Amino acid sequence: MGLGLLASKALKPTASRLLSSQNPRSLLFLSRTVTSTPELQKPEQAAQAQPEPTPDLPPRTPLAGARVHFPNPDDAIEVFVDGYPVKIPKGMTVLQACEVAGVDIPRFCYHSRLSIAGNCRMCLVEVEKSPKPVASCAMPALPGMKIKTDTPIAKKAREGVMEFLLMNHPLDCPICDQGGECDLQDQSMAFGSDRGRFTEMKRSVVDKNLGPLVKTVMTRCIQCTRCVRFATEVAGVQDLGMLGRGSGEEIGTYVEKLMTSELSGNVIDICPVGALTSKPFAFKARNWELKGTETIDVTDAVGSNIRIDSRGPEVMRIIPRLNEDINEEWISDKTRFCYDGLKRQRLNDPMIRGADGRFKPVSWRDALAVVAEIAHQVKPEEIVGVAGQLSDAESMMALKDFLNKLGSNNVWCEKNGMFHDADLRSGYLMNTSISDLEKADVFLLVGTQPRVEAAMVNARIRKTVRATHAKVGYIGPPADFNYDHEHLGTGPQTLKEIAEGRHSFSSALSNAKNPVIIVGAGLFNRKDKDAIFSAVEAIAKSAKAVRPDWNGLNVLLLSAGQAAALDLGLVPESENCLESAKFVYLMGADDVNLENIPKDAFVVYQGHHGDQGVYRANVVLPAAAFSEKEGTYENTEGCTQQTVPAVPTVGDARDDWKIIRALSEVAGVRLPYDTLTAIRSRIKTVAPNLLHVDEREPATFSTSLKPQSNQELSSEPFGTAIENFYMTDSITRASKIMAQCSALLLKK
Amino acid sequence: MSFSLRSVKVPPNSASLEEARSRVFDFFREACRSIPSVIDMYNLDDVVTVSRLRSTIASEIRKNSHITDPKVIDMLLFKGTEELNNVLEHAKQRHHLIGQYVVGRQGLIQDIGTKDQGISNFLKNFYTSNYF
Repeated sequence: MGLGLLASKALKPTASRLLSSQNPRSLLFLSRTVTSTPELQKPEQAAQAQPEPTPDLPPRTPLAGARVHFPNPDDAIEVFVDGYPVKIPKGMTVLQACEVAGVDIPRFCYHSRLSIAGNCRMCLVEVEKSPKPVASCAMPALPGMKIKTDTPIAKKAREGVMEFLLMNHPLDCPICDQGGECDLQDQSMAFGSDRGRFTEMKRSVVDKNLGPLVKTVMTRCIQCTRCVRFATEVAGVQDLGMLGRGSGEEIGTYVEKLMTSELSGNVIDICPVGALTSKPFAFKARNWELKGTETIDVTDAVGSNIRIDSRGPEVMRIIPRLNEDINEEWISDKTRFCYDGLKRQRLNDPMIRGADGRFKPVSWRDALAVVAEIAHQVKPEEIVGVAGQLSDAESMMALKDFLNKLGSNNVWCEKNGMFHDADLRSGYLMNTSISDLEKADVFLLVGTQPRVEAAMVNARIRKTVRATHAKVGYIGPPADFNYDHEHLGTGPQTLKEIAEGRHSFSSALSNAKNPVIIVGAGLFNRKDKDAIFSAVEAIAKSAKAVRPDWNGLNVLLLSAGQAAALDLGLVPESENCLESAKFVYLMGADDVNLENIPKDAFVVYQGHHGDQGVYRANVVLPAAAFSEKEGTYENTEGCTQQTVPAVPTVGDARDDWKIIRALSEVAGVRLPYDTLTAIRSRIKTVAPNLLHVDEREPATFSTSLKPQSNQELSSEPFGTAIENFYMTDSITRASKIMAQCSALLLKK
Repeated sequence: MSFSLRSVKVPPNSASLEEARSRVFDFFREACRSIPSVIDMYNLDDVVTVSRLRSTIASEIRKNSHITDPKVIDMLLFKGTEELNNVLEHAKQRHHLIGQYVVGRQGLIQDIGTKDQGISNFLKNFYTSNYF
């Protein structure tokens, strides 16, 4: 600013005084302003005078951690971005080359995970020897290409594109939910003109109804077609499309139809403007008043990385975080929109059921005293503990230690049921890992519907099927798939045929290079689970799915707590302990067979929602939800991650492990840990992998060590593990948005 | 009203600890003398007795018994006089007095100290809040 003022002064005739001054800075600037640029007048002379821009520029860091992977070192080519040489593999686009060089090119339609459309023209750059500016997102980089990103031509091109885009874009930023995180807003500030020449009427477009999750204001749409490409490529539904031509072009569903995809919420994130925004979040908050907490999701066993945006004590929205190994940058609708369940049906005071059957709020002191007294009145083998599907590793460790101190070992995690093969980790984990599913060429899905059980895993399978045309075989009840698949059969009989090589699919499996077999955790509840698992192992053996360099035998778990529970050894000692129990401790467990609990049993429910478990409970102890506590979770592939508290607990609730620790002291069997660090060092002695946060710990031994089961396969067909994708746990069942989704979107 | 005018004026500093000490006793006596009128003014006779209030005042003063600096004592004395003045001027309401001098800082929880003996710090903290 100061220099600019000086320079403008210097241009006046009275500048002789300034010129004679001894200030070298002003002199330097002056000479730069006043001297004409010979390069512009005689370009060929300038090229001779200045040979090659020497690469003495400081090395720039690639944008957003962009990494260059050379599949073949011979294919590396060198291009120059603003005179700075970068080495890139053949086939990269000009835009990607600029990203590697650390230059951010403005863009609307280009998205790294979608196909290239090249229709917004915002990414125009100048390339030497090319007569016109080129759209960098669609132009492959060629060896020795000289790319210029900040020349007057490139700037003018962007300004022109910006002017055209803003021609039909409404000026409603003050009432737009995208305001503050809008690409169009940011880029018009950076690259747009400061005035417009537009005098006519703006066009308007009728809003579309895309269902209860996505709000549309179609007048704001700039036709980048990111949402159309996302729906067809990633979500695998052909619901969205481009209609009309020219200025009548608009995005819409071809017929009056809702968008029925479990990933539909992601179009909110990829929309560069405010055309597609979140319906539940509409007009609730501005993004700059939110506090972001980077945590993980617990509504399924995938453990998607999320950011919880909160304002004060309230969770306002949930958005995805990038994690290439787990969820890439997508999350399922259940993850994204379950948050309103965190505000409804919450338990906030300890309560005891009185003689009249009604709950009465009491103090923690009284509630714990009552529970401790009853726990001592029953025999140790009549005590049963069930951890819920959302339980973290710390509280499950405390629950197991507490029950063991009372003399009982009947403790398990609800979705695991009577599954008790916790000895070999490979027997219950997704051994291939989610990201390595992309290397597979044949999939065999046994009794699992990944689309509803783990939407992110399903997205990976779809990505693989789309990219490599991998074959998918499915055994189970008729289910919805968003990729080509072969329905092989409905029950264990088909499994047996494949194992014995009588089925046509077994040749596809044995010819495959990297076969993947995925067994659903819904089978854990079957009587013949051992026989099923040994049949699957036989298939894996004949298909050579388990090799030193490839492990294709997987179990797809259903809930966030399952893997950690099995790692910590939460397996029931006897099969029918629930039927003979006198004292049942439900730690957030709502999906156990509550009718199997005897009438005279004393039931303690510790949890955060007034759900099914509370109806049967005698004492209710309020606990913290995943958004309010620090807890360790292990996802289905064995990757340990931690939640971070985003909001304070409600009412008089306490963290889960603290409640059990306090109860153990009142009951006279005090647990030896007082802090989270202490309980983690206890976990370290049982399952050290749960302390290696954000790392995937693969299983060491394969299941081939397991003795062969001599159980008989029953002929009963496989069932569906999850009936309603939108409502699977106490949080999602309390959510109003999830209720709307299940009413409108589930196919009946 | 004459009372308030007299007592809120800032007295000269105490020259020695002895003088400060005698001023504290003067203040205590003055406060004790005003107790009956306070009870009358705020209708406190059904919740508290004269002797209970007197011992509350004494314990409030004893809370600062470790202070030996005459300047600090003068300051505390001034604050005490101001407080007494506010009470006598009816600048407070009945629940203020009940909250501050009848129920006291412990609040309505009367059973602390009897049941909590022999329990760990963890459990004590657990009963008060989730965050410790």
